[in-house]
Amino acid sequence: MKVPRSLQIWRLGIVNYSDALKLQEKLVSDRKIHKISDTLLSLQHPPTYTLGKRRTDHNLLISEAELKKLGAELHYTQRGGDITFHGPHQAILYPIISLRDIGLGARNYVEKLESTMIEIASLYGVKACPGQKGETGIWVGDRKIGAIGVRIQYGITSHGLAFNIDPDLNYFKHIVPCGIADKDVTSLRRETGNGIYEAVEKPAPHVTYSKEHQCHQALKRANGGRADAEMELAELLLHLLLYSLLLPF
Amino acid sequence: MASRLLWASRAASYLRISVFHRGFSSVIKDLKYADSHEWVKVDGNSATIGITDHAQDHLGDVVYVELPEVGVTVKQDASFGAVESVKATSDVNSPVSGKVVEVNEELSSSPALVNSSPYEDGWIIKVEMDNAGELKKLMDADQYTKFCEEEDSKH
Repeated sequence: MKVPRSLQIWRLGIVNYSDALKLQEKLVSDRKIHKISDTLLSLQHPPTYTLGKRRTDHNLLISEAELKKLGAELHYTQRGGDITFHGPHQAILYPIISLRDIGLGARNYVEKLESTMIEIASLYGVKACPGQKGETGIWVGDRKIGAIGVRIQYGITSHGLAFNIDPDLNYFKHIVPCGIADKDVTSLRRETGNGIYEAVEKPAPHVTYSKEHQCHQALKRANGGRADAEMELAELLLHLLLYSLLLPF
Repeated sequence: MASRLLWASRAASYLRISVFHRGFSSVIKDLKYADSHEWVKVDGNSATIGITDHAQDHLGDVVYVELPEVGVTVKQDASFGAVESVKATSDVNSPVSGKVVEVNEELSSSPALVNSSPYEDGWIIKVEMDNAGELKKLMDADQYTKFCEEEDSKH
């Protein structure tokens, strides 16, 4: 018998990396003892470089002092994956999900994160695909648009995905992103040319009316900062896609 | 693993029965199993520990194994290290409590042994157990096989 499942979505705006890490640790403990249901953190970070468990800091091309002068922070983490950059207008999703409860392994889970990003890209008319073997992430041609780094403890996930809506891509020049040299980084804005709004097609068929309504509401809020409204819309679409992929009906 | 699947598909079409999409993970008799998909081979007071075929299949290609130091204590159900695959680091838990007496150094240069030989060359640590009674909490091969089937059918 299938137990009804829910996903609580927390939209947090811009959050410091350390604060987000502490929050995730607390949520993983709570999820382990079934105090909370599956939870999704949706946020952005101020300019931050992060390394994974393998501590591949040879892929950081500047010193930590120079990095700080740029107004960025550096963090060593326990997630999988190599070095990456997070910044404003890059959508980040940290699902805190019990993989054991849904019988998913790490590989399938990562594939679902990839599918989420591929689908949102296609809603904007951008053809993205997973990387070649050993190059997890989402690519448009040989330009990387989305990254993944996950941690699994007690069968519960933390960290997650980072999708480039419109971050400042110059920050990526100071690293070898994900340890893959000679490949570019890109964003939804760069791939859609003149304006993310115009590129959005109708919401996907499986999106119900009430969710469509929310999408249109977000579109209408053009007054306070067009870039913010675009970001909000993209984040909302990401939630819906991840939700529909993780909770099959 | 792939050849087993091929054999199974051929046998199934000959017998005209439908084949399940998922592969057949191997389970070894005489080992004990934890519900976090680690196995333990007991020899007197010594326990060899690794992750199961089911676990390595669901993880994907292992690119890195974080090993504990020799001499540290491990506790049943607590994490002692991790494996990294497809940008995910997954904790590995100990099925028994005790002291680590040996770690598989081969895994530092050849982490893929965990995938290709999860029960033999891909062993991870050897532990001197301090409470053999804990083995009662673990599953035998048949129980573990059933456990995996139930878990896989959830999705």
